[in-house]
Amino acid sequence: MTTQNETLPYEVGRLTRGWIAMVAVLLILMGVGGYAYYLQFTQGEIVTGLRNLGTMGGATWGLYIVFLVYFIGLSFTGISIAAMIRLLGLEKIKPIARMAETMTVIALILGAMTIMVDVGQPLRAMVNLFRYARPGSPFFGTFTLVIAGYLFASQIYLYLDGRRDAAILAKKPGRFQRFFRLWAAGYKGTPAEKKRHNQASFWMAIAIVPLLITAHSTLGFVFGLQAGRPGWFSALQAPEFVALAGVSGFGLLICIAAIIRKVLNAEEKLNQDVFEWLGNFLMFLIVAYLYFMVVEWLTATYSSGGAEASVSNALFTGEYAWMYWLTVATLLIPFGLLVYQFIFKRYRLAWIVASGFMVNIAAVVKRYLIVVPSQTHGTLLPYGIGSYSPTWVEYAVVLGIFAFGTLMFVLFIKIFPIMNIPENSEGGE
Amino acid sequence: MRKKLTSLLVVLGFALQGISFFFLAAPLGLSTSEADSNPVMPFAPVVFIVGVGMVFVAAVVYELLPENSDE
Repeated sequence: MTTQNETLPYEVGRLTRGWIAMVAVLLILMGVGGYAYYLQFTQGEIVTGLRNLGTMGGATWGLYIVFLVYFIGLSFTGISIAAMIRLLGLEKIKPIARMAETMTVIALILGAMTIMVDVGQPLRAMVNLFRYARPGSPFFGTFTLVIAGYLFASQIYLYLDGRRDAAILAKKPGRFQRFFRLWAAGYKGTPAEKKRHNQASFWMAIAIVPLLITAHSTLGFVFGLQAGRPGWFSALQAPEFVALAGVSGFGLLICIAAIIRKVLNAEEKLNQDVFEWLGNFLMFLIVAYLYFMVVEWLTATYSSGGAEASVSNALFTGEYAWMYWLTVATLLIPFGLLVYQFIFKRYRLAWIVASGFMVNIAAVVKRYLIVVPSQTHGTLLPYGIGSYSPTWVEYAVVLGIFAFGTLMFVLFIKIFPIMNIPENSEGGE
Repeated sequence: MRKKLTSLLVVLGFALQGISFFFLAAPLGLSTSEADSNPVMPFAPVVFIVGVGMVFVAAVVYELLPENSDE
């Protein structure tokens, strides 16, 4: 890299050995994932653990759908943070806005990829979805509105939000100058432009919040509207999905912010206040989700019968019980840690980060419990209990998708500042 | 010009969403025949998505288009 690039903020354009090694590892993981997908594409989904419901005693939705729900859930954070900053004036969390917006865009792309790997013929699925989808269907809401509309809106938000910083960086000579100039698109930082940006982002925030709620609710409706599937058919699914999306999204954002703080030595910008705010907000989201879990548990155990009881027994005391109680533990422990800090005002960064990490374990496992047991144990037809075990192909594909998402994030960090450049850096504006 | 174009995109975007949702896509409600399952116009969902996209493109137009001296 040139000496000129070294002057760019937040290590943009500066390639370290650690970064290159990380990219190499990610590329290897992507290669493994790509090979696994090649096997699946050429030999069919027989190489996965997915099987027909009932007649084959399996589950047609497995690990891919679990991670689809997880990735779409992660996308909740970026736009909600951006909207909160704009609509509620939360300037304190502004340093994490861009990383959250980037996370949203990447998470939505990964969500789209998991759908594509789940269907046997992805191209046919893509064409037919856009050709025949019913706008009233939750599938349309999730797979078309979310992936196309929400992703597009998030990209525009990220682009417009970055114009000011791109304009500042475009003044510095270097190999990315043309890219920054293109992104800035003539932005000069005049009071009129700033006013216009504030107006546009205000209205975008207003427009995007309903889209956000719709997106996460429709994903819940994909399960919640299926009357013939005990364990899924519930009015709580939509709000529950919104709450869990918030929990996992904010949890991962805490982890990412902590890593960036460490790697970029950004202790001053990503200070304790930012993490305290995130921790407190996560605590309230966990409370909301725990409430849903209690309501769900009471409803499922009080007087349910037949297939509904079969699913709830499998969850609470049977085959999936260890997963269920792991979810409860990985929600309750972070909740305890965050409440303690909130009450006694003794915040520790390590505890907040550990909480963010644990709730993500809870989120993945809980999504597994949402997707799988209702298929293996929830049939209304006279079939026996089914089973589902993901094969190495599914694990490898999911790992490859994760690696791809991480690669996009680490590449973005090297070509554009992951945090907004301070006001005093505007130079000649 | 900038404001007019932005407003036009927003109105047109919402209009496309409404038209595709209510008139071009498959009829709302319970399907009673195979015909009810198919959209009135093929690729009607794309029209809906284009509508969503236009509303957000309006923000880009609003920010990027140069201001007229009279604005």
